[in-house]
Amino acid sequence: MKKIVISKFSAVLVAAAIILMGGMTVSASAETANDNYNLYCVQCHGSAGTGKGINAPFLAVAPRNHTDPKAMGELSDANVALAIKEGGSAVGKSTQMPSWKHSLTDAEIKDIVALLRQKCKCTGAAK
Amino acid sequence: MIKRGITVFALALLLAVPSAFAADGAAIVKKCGSCHKLTGPAAKTIKEVRERKAPDLFYAGSKFNKDWLVGYIQNPTVIRPAGTVYANHIKTTGDTDTVVTPPKCESKLSAGDAAAAADYLMTLKDPKMKTGVAKLGEFSNAKAKMLIIKTEACNGCHQIQGNGGVSCPTWEGIGKRLNPDWVYSFVQNPEYWDPKIWMGKRDLDEASVQLIVNFIAAQK
Repeated sequence: MKKIVISKFSAVLVAAAIILMGGMTVSASAETANDNYNLYCVQCHGSAGTGKGINAPFLAVAPRNHTDPKAMGELSDANVALAIKEGGSAVGKSTQMPSWKHSLTDAEIKDIVALLRQKCKCTGAAK
Repeated sequence: MIKRGITVFALALLLAVPSAFAADGAAIVKKCGSCHKLTGPAAKTIKEVRERKAPDLFYAGSKFNKDWLVGYIQNPTVIRPAGTVYANHIKTTGDTDTVVTPPKCESKLSAGDAAAAADYLMTLKDPKMKTGVAKLGEFSNAKAKMLIIKTEACNGCHQIQGNGGVSCPTWEGIGKRLNPDWVYSFVQNPEYWDPKIWMGKRDLDEASVQLIVNFIAAQK
């Protein structure tokens, strides 16, 4: 009888942990990096990430080519995250890159930085 | 006596006809629901946004100027060069994106139906939106352009005075289209109206918001 009670209690604990972990995953990053990139970034940086989005011809400064390993490799992950969060002016670049801090969570920005590393096939410079 | 009766009947009929055939704005607008969202809330996920066919209308009475609405729904024009959701209307050739011509609103209402539809749309308001907040008056066009073009780069996504990006609505005629109080609210907090809008919220001071609102209101 005691064993059955303990095993039921354990099952409840495991179920609660699964629910909590699931909830944490959702709240940490509600949207995937790809979905966020395709909605917020592609308009300027383009579907291929080469900086040739539909708005690019109208910008005074060409959007960053996310597939360029040399240029992207010179930037640290923290620098890229700061540019996304606070905008281009925060990293000494164009004000045409806006701040996305009200649209994206820190976790989503971190996921986008990881996605950009896949696009450039490069690692970030040391801070 | 019979003649008099007929005359009275005819007069009564004439008076009754306009109301009997008056357009039902709500019924007309209901048809727009196949593309436009007529009840809130706004899309909260990117998936929902990508499914959007046309702009939300459930706060049309807060957003639009009625006179513009009456004209537009008789003869819609393209406001969003890359469609309602630009991401759904791009084609990639090599490494370059171009706009695929988006579908155009086919609505072409008569003047009477358009007036009735606009009357109904103007009842769809967000009660939380503050009114009387846009302070229109004299403003410096040079200062406005400095803020809008150089600092905030609104022209990166919006066509402004014939030049600019295409992922967001054109500012051509925007002063006729939008209620300045709604512009005031949207510029301060676009995500209040559209949680997944691809326009980053700016942290602007009151003077800057008013400058933008005035510049927009002047684009007739």
